[in-house]
Amino acid sequence: MYEIWLTLNILFELGLQYLPLVIGTAALWLVLMIFAATRRRAGWKKALAPALVIGVIATVITFFITPSMTMSSFDNMGYWVDWMNLFFYAVAFGGVAAALAWPIAASLRRRG
Amino acid sequence: MSHKPEPPSAVGRVDDSRRRFVLGASSLPVMAGAGLTTGLTLGSAPAHAALKTSAHIVIAGSGLGGLAIANRLARELDGARITVIDRKEIHNYQPGYTLVATGIWPVVKVSDRNADLMPANAQWVHEMVAEFDPVANAVVTDSGKRIEYDYLVVATGLHLDFAQIEGMDVAAIGTNGLTSVYPSPAAAEATWRAMDTFRQKGGQALMTLPATALKCAGAPLKMTFMIADRLKQAGTRDASKIDFHSALGNIFSVPVINDEVLRRWLKLNIPVTFNSKLVAVDIGARRATVTSPEGERTEIDYDFIHVVPPMRAPDAVKNSPLAWQEGGFAAGGWLEVDPKTLRHRRFPNVFGLGDINGTGKGKTAATIKKSAPIVAQNLIDVIAGREPSQVFDGYTSCPLLLREGAALLVEFDYQNNLTPSLPMIDPLQDSYFAWVMKYRLLKPAYMAVAKGRV
Repeated sequence: MYEIWLTLNILFELGLQYLPLVIGTAALWLVLMIFAATRRRAGWKKALAPALVIGVIATVITFFITPSMTMSSFDNMGYWVDWMNLFFYAVAFGGVAAALAWPIAASLRRRG
Repeated sequence: MSHKPEPPSAVGRVDDSRRRFVLGASSLPVMAGAGLTTGLTLGSAPAHAALKTSAHIVIAGSGLGGLAIANRLARELDGARITVIDRKEIHNYQPGYTLVATGIWPVVKVSDRNADLMPANAQWVHEMVAEFDPVANAVVTDSGKRIEYDYLVVATGLHLDFAQIEGMDVAAIGTNGLTSVYPSPAAAEATWRAMDTFRQKGGQALMTLPATALKCAGAPLKMTFMIADRLKQAGTRDASKIDFHSALGNIFSVPVINDEVLRRWLKLNIPVTFNSKLVAVDIGARRATVTSPEGERTEIDYDFIHVVPPMRAPDAVKNSPLAWQEGGFAAGGWLEVDPKTLRHRRFPNVFGLGDINGTGKGKTAATIKKSAPIVAQNLIDVIAGREPSQVFDGYTSCPLLLREGAALLVEFDYQNNLTPSLPMIDPLQDSYFAWVMKYRLLKPAYMAVAKGRV
């Protein structure tokens, strides 16, 4: 439990550092969700696959750009712990991308 | 004592597991996506029933230790009067100094307003403690104000004793190749300017280490690794010489880390001269003087010097009855605390936290992260009429920068045991993960510690 508490605190403080970006992203997601939810016959299930694809693409891109974005490089990947962490960072950003893509795709893909 | 503690209904127990700081941070990416919005709603620690008391607790100092303990006690005590004494208005994130001094961070990232971190229900006296009178349970500020207490937490930090180096002028840092990462954000920034200038042409770099206890004892090593890396990046490493002079017989107190760093420096062509203490610097002539234990003085010309000052307790502690009266910690005037409970050995209503403690290890932010909850709980125990229940193992950690993009994540305790938070972390392995910890995640964790939440 302590680890979860510590992680939430680090996230909270990181969120404070990037508050405009975090609020902007959350607000954008909310607007997109409301927009999609108020559209008639929004295709939520049909939107899962494209949202997932977008998430995977974002994960792959994040995976490759994160080392240079953090003033490092793939040459500094010392062992599997480094690769695992990089992978999870990428997955986290991919998840955000998928969450943003889902309502957009749902709005575009109407139910038959 | 003027107060009567009431029995707690349910005093929150502090974390008694070891070394969870890095462990939690390592799971951060897993939770990052899901926790992004959850984190924004986070405002306070898990609920505890507070101990009712009318005790007056004085906290001397508002660095990381002072703030962490003030915030914890403000939350975990009901009715206590908490007074924090410190003039400092700006809170500097000192673990970030090495990042500023090596050109990784801009200087603005290390400074925050102390008022933003101070608990709302604490009285903040904007003065400095000039005198401790533990026999009378009182402190005297530099304006002459006498403040009595029931309990005292000494968290004053330490004194950088540049005066022990003849000719040293802190105001000259950044000029004539003179650098030091320790004094301030401005000095760290000036150090980077000097390093950046030096690396364009290269030359003779002289890195130093004093014989006293140090805050962030890894900083002199980080600076040495990073200047080698910066010279290499600039293509001037081959035209340069880096010499490390240690006033001790080693460069780090933990033998396995000491040996590992020396092994790496051998490969990087960084020779070490042991038992060679910096005693004087001629800033204009760019000439340093070192002495051997036998008193033999040697002059060394340099193009770049990193000065690490001897460190000791501030005069107010050093000259008080609170300081060690004998033994190895007496010379530095360090606070005489029990290393396990961090309670004063002679004045049972006094505790110490952070750099000021005369203990075998532990002048880092990570030490405070681990020990602040222990001191808070032990103080609460004492207020409640119990013996201190928590034991500190001396945990310290040091993300040791190796080069831009990689670090070692070293964690150890009083006994020099390596104590990795996760078994899978190899403390001697160059690591991107350790770099990201230092570069991105440790300041958020630090802020959570200052606010008394973790």
